[in-house]
Amino acid sequence: MERTYALQDTPEPALIEDIFPYALPPLIKFAGTWVEDIDGRKIVFDPAARINDDIHVTDTTFRDGQQARPPYTVAQQVKLYQMLSKLGGPQGVIRQTEFFLYTKNDRETLEKCRELGLKYPEITGWIRAVKGDFRLVKEAGLKESGMLTSSSDYHIFYKQKQTRQQAFDQYVEVVEAALETGVRPRCHLEDVTRADWKGFVFPFVQKLARLSEQVPDHLKVKVRLCDTMGFGLGWPNVAAPRSIAKLCWYMINECGIPPARLEWHGHNDFHRVHINGATAWLYGCNALNATLLGYGERTGNPPLEAALLEYIALKGDLCGIETQMITEIAAYMQSIGLPVPDNYPFVGKHFNTTRAGIHAGGLRRNERIYNIMDTTALLNRPPRVAITDKTGTDGIAIWVNDFLGVKGTPDEVKLTQIVKIQKWVMDQYNVHGRMSTITDEELEQQVKTHLPDLYAQHRMAASR
Amino acid sequence: MANKDVLDRVIKVTARVLNLDPGEIRPEHSFSFDLGAESVQSVELIAAFEEEFGIEMDEDAALAVERVGAAADFIGKQL
Repeated sequence: MERTYALQDTPEPALIEDIFPYALPPLIKFAGTWVEDIDGRKIVFDPAARINDDIHVTDTTFRDGQQARPPYTVAQQVKLYQMLSKLGGPQGVIRQTEFFLYTKNDRETLEKCRELGLKYPEITGWIRAVKGDFRLVKEAGLKESGMLTSSSDYHIFYKQKQTRQQAFDQYVEVVEAALETGVRPRCHLEDVTRADWKGFVFPFVQKLARLSEQVPDHLKVKVRLCDTMGFGLGWPNVAAPRSIAKLCWYMINECGIPPARLEWHGHNDFHRVHINGATAWLYGCNALNATLLGYGERTGNPPLEAALLEYIALKGDLCGIETQMITEIAAYMQSIGLPVPDNYPFVGKHFNTTRAGIHAGGLRRNERIYNIMDTTALLNRPPRVAITDKTGTDGIAIWVNDFLGVKGTPDEVKLTQIVKIQKWVMDQYNVHGRMSTITDEELEQQVKTHLPDLYAQHRMAASR
Repeated sequence: MANKDVLDRVIKVTARVLNLDPGEIRPEHSFSFDLGAESVQSVELIAAFEEEFGIEMDEDAALAVERVGAAADFIGKQL
């Protein structure tokens, strides 16, 4: 052993609250820089410096998100747009959202959302790389639109049946048409993590940079890096074309696209979608494109709610984000037919529910032991226990105290008061062979039977 | 050292809750390892001791008591 560490006994626990403040998600702090080998050079990235940049979230719930389900109705989209605006707050952490422009439904939705007059998220469009489609953008009165500019040979050769030169020329022609129309183009480099960067992507993006030099700032071309198949990797020194670090660096330093015009769009095919998005923020993309609950083509996109919590964790501040809206939005989305797995982080029915007796024991003593953050204040979701044969008396005590609303009061129920309820629970499994979780209704009945005075005082009084 | 009367009553209550013969229970016995008390029965024992002796015990402190003799000592101090 090079060094030895002596035990430091302490009268008070070290809760490391500068990183785990509880009132906020656990904060993300960096203790150094990252070094990436690029073309024989050691390139230093400073993730801590990125935190102070204008990183933000853009939304594609109504575009990519809608490719994963039957179309939303106009009313549903308008409702979600309003909720997104409230969630992202007045500082515009959710900066933009994009809409299709092709159907009557698309255009009606866009019009109704615009009529609301909300500052954020700003509405942008999404079209094919077809010259005439910019007419739709202009007619809709939008200042910016995404356009599909596929970048891998898989797409250029096999889908578009083009040569690289033909694709290049077509894309440039459409970009020029957009600039002439006075609409800012946002080029979506489809499948860029499977593309020949130096042979196609960089020449095309350098052309975009040159075109941008000739137009005012509000028209300069944006670039969306689309990890269409979820191939991107966030570790240092990953080989091209899967390296997020290298891709961001080349875009900024050799292709002339600054972070303010750079965006990451990921997919979750390999379970990397959220962390890849956050990684792209730190390597230089100011915008992280996301969808509510991660709904998107196939395995989905970065979950927008997770991106916001990551944003808070990086910034160390809520920045105007109304986090409780996450719960409200999830409930609304479930009500219109979008299922949410019970264990889905932040919004699933059981994301902060424990069944294990030993965890419930910890929760009863101090909820911070087994709760990730103040989910009551941040998400309106107090930590809960689900009652099974594994829950133990501690878990039942938490449930009963929550149910009666007596936690921390002189009426707080002790373990010895719920022994009969616990015995009933155990009998359900040991005697009656039950396999399912005890329901809230069943437990309420047990409380009514075994703690009738407390039930009358706290539940019946509450219902009057 | 626990008062003999307190110890006898602790053994009697333990035998009733855990469904054992009082003659099998000795002061050095562990409630869980030797007498087989499960988690819920530990809480049940505390409730039964509180009723038997007319006292109210700190639950966390009481649950930390592992042996029959120690329980009699713990209760004796509160009488």
